[in-house]
Amino acid sequence: MDPAILQFLAAPIVASLIIAGIHAYLGLHVVERGVIFVDLSLAQIASLGATIAVLVPALGGDPHSPGVYWMSLGFTIIGALIFSMIRGHEANVPQEAIIGITYAVASAAVIVVMSKAPGESEHLKDMLVGNILSVQWPEVWTTGALYAVIGLFHYVFRHRFLQISVDAKAAAAQGVSLRLWDFLFYASFGFVVTRSVAIAGVLLVFCYLIVPSVGGILFSDRIGPRLAIGWIMGTVVSMLGMYFSVVFDLPTGAAIVCTFGIVLILMAAVRPLVRRNGVVAATASSRDAA
Amino acid sequence: MKPMKKLFIPFFAIALAMSYAPPGRTATAALRVVATTEDLGSLANEVGGDRVTVVSLAKGYQDPHQVDPKPSFILEISRADLLIAVGRELEIGWLPALQASSRNAKIQVGGPGFLDASQNVRILEIPTGQITRAMGDVHPQGNPHYWLDPANGRRIAQAIRDRLTQLAPADKAYFDQRYADFDKRLAAAEQRWDATMAPYKGAQIVTYHRSWPNFMERFGLQVMGYVEPKPGIPAPPAHIIDLIGEMKRSGARLIIVEPYWSLKTPQSIASQTGGQVLVLAPSVGGVKEATDYIKLFDYDVSQLASALKQTSGK
Repeated sequence: MDPAILQFLAAPIVASLIIAGIHAYLGLHVVERGVIFVDLSLAQIASLGATIAVLVPALGGDPHSPGVYWMSLGFTIIGALIFSMIRGHEANVPQEAIIGITYAVASAAVIVVMSKAPGESEHLKDMLVGNILSVQWPEVWTTGALYAVIGLFHYVFRHRFLQISVDAKAAAAQGVSLRLWDFLFYASFGFVVTRSVAIAGVLLVFCYLIVPSVGGILFSDRIGPRLAIGWIMGTVVSMLGMYFSVVFDLPTGAAIVCTFGIVLILMAAVRPLVRRNGVVAATASSRDAA
Repeated sequence: MKPMKKLFIPFFAIALAMSYAPPGRTATAALRVVATTEDLGSLANEVGGDRVTVVSLAKGYQDPHQVDPKPSFILEISRADLLIAVGRELEIGWLPALQASSRNAKIQVGGPGFLDASQNVRILEIPTGQITRAMGDVHPQGNPHYWLDPANGRRIAQAIRDRLTQLAPADKAYFDQRYADFDKRLAAAEQRWDATMAPYKGAQIVTYHRSWPNFMERFGLQVMGYVEPKPGIPAPPAHIIDLIGEMKRSGARLIIVEPYWSLKTPQSIASQTGGQVLVLAPSVGGVKEATDYIKLFDYDVSQLASALKQTSGK
């Protein structure tokens, strides 16, 4: 490979590894909770906030101004509040339905707001959605620091977060405030997703969130091994996707997304072989025993 | 995982092969020119000849507003001696980040290797005073589709000639001669195009987006409306109804669409007004016939003239 290209890909590679790290972990929660599309929904709410901010002249109209970031973060927090309210209602409305509705309404609201904007606003959408190829070092470092803080927060309270994701009823029975912890989860999750989407785009962030944890589920029933598999998968796919992107000169984000799909199919294909070796059976029996 | 390793070897071989192209250039190295669109690339080729190598990033069939950057873009820009951009915020969604990533000081805005091709051309629709919602859809810096007027193409070629001369003063005579030759061929072609379009002066047409004001002004056509004033944002029903009414009243029958927009809405409007939808190439490479700047106009002018002939019965 041309050594010059590695120099330019260094920042995107580091950014993708940082994103892979935190999203593989958050993805486990998201899959456990069965709220697969929550990141798309929160990202859309964030982009509605950003769109409104860009179109408010007082905020300068520059998509990269801090006002836009705070506005989109504020909207994300509102989204987190909504999602923490919807659990446990007696009416039999599935959470996924609310999440889907939120996504559709937020997307449409972006279009409605843009249609009333003065000036060309159609490429505003692209400016809000990042491209991993063009990420710059300062952005990589601040993102890394932010994710480290959030990761630490989740590490400190890992038992609580895990409990409400896996077995909310038991947690509630122990007197844990589901609303509060749901809100903390969705708010910290929203922080991460808003940031990641601005760097890497919606499709790629969705894959980093969901595919590694599905990969983990294929091979293990326990959280620890799933996380390990997810991290390895996220790292390998990031590098491989970048590699394909360079060798075949493909748009980088799309190349990584397709690589995720291919690797997941390969993993599903080798799963029966692994199962015959007894790995899955062993983990399953150890869980049964627990 | 072993088969994976085997796969890597051919991939690696391909990568090596692909990376091997550059080292051929020596002392009298050709200037590396990167153009954001094929139109600018074509003009750079006209003027630069064999003293330049030209790479165009956005292909003519792509919407230059929305380009998904590829790794090769950064590599090309990082090695470029000259980066030519359309400007007027056309590439605002993707070019600035690539320039920053390239770490090539020459081609940053204001650098000796950055040419904003819009600096000396005739720009239409520059808003005056405060931009308000009532004005509808406007580019704050004017309409960026200015290359669709051959007079502007000439001005862009002049700017490229001047900049190439600055970068390679020894080749001044060569660039002057190439420019003069292009200027002559363009002038001859303009006479041809004017003659073809002459019968249709003042004809009313509808365009999908505001991509054609320079082209229509040049050939004396009237744009009486737009299908989707904001591309990607479906026009409100009232707008479509107004447009259909206007078209019936004014007798406009032709709707011009760029290759990258859906034909559904234009076709439904055309079917209600007895009109016709015509796809024109807004850029070199937009259709396979439009292989360079002059051929782009050859194609668009002949298509437009024959469609106008059909719809107006002249």
